[in-house]
Amino acid sequence: MIDNTTKNIILKVRDIAEERNIVASFSLHYENSHLMRIGNNSVSLSTSEELTRMDIEVTNGLRQGSHTQMGEIRSVEQVIESLEIAYEKALVAKEKDYKPIEDEVEEIFVENSQNDNKFNDLTPDFKAESYSKIFNSVGNNYNFSGSWSSGTTEQFIVTTKNKNSAYLVGTDQIFTIVLKHPVKSWEITATQTGWKKSDFDLDYVIKELKMYVDYYENYPATQIDIKDYTVVLGPQAIAEVIQMAIFTGFWGRTYEEKQAWTSKNSIGDKVLGENITISDDPLNDLTFKSCFDFSGQKRVKRNIVEDGKFVSLMYDSTTAAKFKREKTGHDTSSFSITVNTGSDVECPIDAVKDMEEVLYIPALHYINLPSVSKGIFTGSSRFNALLVRKGKVVGPIYSSRITDTFQNVFGNVAKISKLAKSVNLSNTYGRRAPVAFSVPNYMVCEGVKITDCAESF
Amino acid sequence: MKIDQKLKEKIVKNINLTMDKNSDYVDVRYLSSDNSESIMLYNGNLEANDTTFESGIGVRVLYKGAWGFAATSNLDAIETCFSQSFDNAKTASKLVNVPLKMNKKPSHKSKFISPILIDPFEVPLKEKLDFLISLDDKLKEEWILQRVISANFQKKHTYFFSSEGTEVERKLFNVFASINIMALDDEGQMQSRTHDLFTTGKGTRGWEMLIEPDLFSGNIDKIKSELSELTKAPSLEYAKRSVILLPSQAWLQVHETIGHPLELDRILGYELSYAGGSFVDLDSFGKLQYGSKKLNVSAFGGIENSPGSFGFDDEGSPERNYMLIKDGLLVNALTSRAMISEANQKAGKEIFKESGGAARATAFYRAPIDRMTNVNIQPGNDGTLEDIIANTEDGIIVDFPNSWSIGSNREHFHFGCEIAWEVKKGKVTRVLKNPTYQGHTVEFYNSLSAVGDESTWHVGQVNNCGKGEPNQVMQLGHGVPVVKFDNVITGERK
Repeated sequence: MIDNTTKNIILKVRDIAEERNIVASFSLHYENSHLMRIGNNSVSLSTSEELTRMDIEVTNGLRQGSHTQMGEIRSVEQVIESLEIAYEKALVAKEKDYKPIEDEVEEIFVENSQNDNKFNDLTPDFKAESYSKIFNSVGNNYNFSGSWSSGTTEQFIVTTKNKNSAYLVGTDQIFTIVLKHPVKSWEITATQTGWKKSDFDLDYVIKELKMYVDYYENYPATQIDIKDYTVVLGPQAIAEVIQMAIFTGFWGRTYEEKQAWTSKNSIGDKVLGENITISDDPLNDLTFKSCFDFSGQKRVKRNIVEDGKFVSLMYDSTTAAKFKREKTGHDTSSFSITVNTGSDVECPIDAVKDMEEVLYIPALHYINLPSVSKGIFTGSSRFNALLVRKGKVVGPIYSSRITDTFQNVFGNVAKISKLAKSVNLSNTYGRRAPVAFSVPNYMVCEGVKITDCAESF
Repeated sequence: MKIDQKLKEKIVKNINLTMDKNSDYVDVRYLSSDNSESIMLYNGNLEANDTTFESGIGVRVLYKGAWGFAATSNLDAIETCFSQSFDNAKTASKLVNVPLKMNKKPSHKSKFISPILIDPFEVPLKEKLDFLISLDDKLKEEWILQRVISANFQKKHTYFFSSEGTEVERKLFNVFASINIMALDDEGQMQSRTHDLFTTGKGTRGWEMLIEPDLFSGNIDKIKSELSELTKAPSLEYAKRSVILLPSQAWLQVHETIGHPLELDRILGYELSYAGGSFVDLDSFGKLQYGSKKLNVSAFGGIENSPGSFGFDDEGSPERNYMLIKDGLLVNALTSRAMISEANQKAGKEIFKESGGAARATAFYRAPIDRMTNVNIQPGNDGTLEDIIANTEDGIIVDFPNSWSIGSNREHFHFGCEIAWEVKKGKVTRVLKNPTYQGHTVEFYNSLSAVGDESTWHVGQVNNCGKGEPNQVMQLGHGVPVVKFDNVITGERK
């Protein structure tokens, strides 16, 4: 953990840097992570990691350099050594043609609103027992796999700009289980996420899996025709497509550089349907909250799309400096994107009882962007995807591809659930950095292009 | 840097102590240094000027058929790390349906160093910047709106120890680099052309590779000219036609639709909750006609100059050269020791004779999983690119991926590319923008109708293959020639 001794070492080096007129920011990241992986109804891996990383960035006028060092912080000398590496890089660096905005912790921040002291009870034994109960309840004849990651993250940021510090401590977990039929090869899944131990609800997981097992066991699968459909997107699909739409449409740099699908639009233009409102809301408890960003700026709720109109862009420090804009607290990986709920019923199947034929696609696998300028995305259905006629489940569908635009899919939304869901979008490519979006439980989107369907799940 | 003798003794002692607790197997990776450096010039501004230094130890314990793993960057906490790993394995062993096994292997003491002439970390930063700035100067044009030049250098020094007595010292070097330029077309859409540093498979892989014009900087005029054409080009129309993949596109096709589906852990279902499974099953080997007779695919860890060449994997197994697909028939997979043991046990016969040397971990704090090494399409007998074009009635040539989306079992795919050239009656007629193509994997490879010769073959370097939980980003290579497929759906349905 980041204890007072460690913090004091960093503060001491911060003071030394200040005395030497070095403009620097120091960020410590600590994680204590555990992950259990399941394969073939067994624990295939149980792994623990306790890691500390220190990032130092030095700004020398128009020049910058940075260095990251992994390892325990033991001495002032050790931190100075890393500072020197970043400093040397900043001395040699090529000058930028804009003045970088120096990091500054705006006030003393302490973010501990999502730190569950019961997280220590989320032991490997507890996880293994929970998985075992699911196998036994749903059926050991199926092939189960999954993963359960949980951990504590701490972050401590100071800069030479002032004496303020920013500190975050938080807990997070994501539980996933996949059930595969050993012969028919269909797959269904259940996920749970949150910052509290109690966010994992074993009974709900079992109930959800049993419901889909019933659909998949008792109804025939369909290879659907290639045409336009009314598609009910579930929470995971909404979150992942919105994530793509946000970063290619409302990210300051993409927009300013004319790469965005919104680049031909101006602030105030209608770009999505009137029933779509999207914000970045660091106070939303269904997301992982951070009241400050890596540059030390306070994060506040900011609307991005209001009633389909594009109302603001997100700027990190570099983009803001380059294009002479105000930065918006987006030097972060902890986005708290919130898509407003609607007024329709909670359950997606109930929502479409008057519709002739719809596809329920709760998640999309491997989404990518064939044309950012046009807002075209593509991805395929996988788990829990159903063909529904007049509110009755006809059966599962084979792996089907959507290739369409953000503008069309979120421009023709007929119904939006009144229930909000948290979707964990954490990227574990490096350090633990929990991210969750808050989205409606479903959206009924009309005229969605299905461009391919496989002959299998 | 040689390993400190006391540290080595401590590691070996703890391996023995852990084995004394009835463990089946223990291995340890100590990374004395895992350094990387990233430099990026964005429109001439130095937007990345970063180094990252990591070091630490990862301990893996197999106990009653279950894996436990723990890692720490604190070398004073080695004993705790061993205990944690053992405890994790012990807990895991309470829920084991298929016990994992590491079949006994003779021990060996080995060493591998990537072939290099100039250590990129010994080249002064100023020299690196001067070189990249000189390239950026060549990219400058008023109509080019974005110029991005990036370089990434990696150096990993690993010591591996196992309870079998195997010791491996490995020093790996990688150099990755890319040049990307963008401009608006006549409809106001951003078009892009990119050139990535590649290798011929020969030579050394230090700083010298980056400054070799044929591999990198010599391609600047070509991509500028192609981008200029793209800004005035019409879009590709939806139709079925032949598709000729240049190596800078073909490597990703191979990666996503041959490499990943043939990773044995995916086939066995260990990736279902994240990356997905595979349409290949244990019954497919020796039976599935994956592609036409022209398709010959190898896993060759020993290509002289490739990020997929590493001497010994993270289980101490030596890299191997073997066929995955022979004359279109699926014959082998990308494998590690524990996975082949489980697969053979499940199949009730010996499908896989020995580990393919594909157990790899991205860092000391990640456990090894089955990864690609170098997965290659062998050169064919259909001549040069010009020969293949001359034999094409109606098709497109495509280059460089800008989008890729693959079905969860790798059974279908959709690719977008930066550029296409139309081919009509054996001649290239015009440039087309926004090219896409899609298909179903087995049907697609069975439509393989031409494979270019050695002159068309090069090694695409991959710096960012993501897989596993916790996720691991791995470096690898794909040696590929020009390849042609027929009756492919191209473009988007209106």
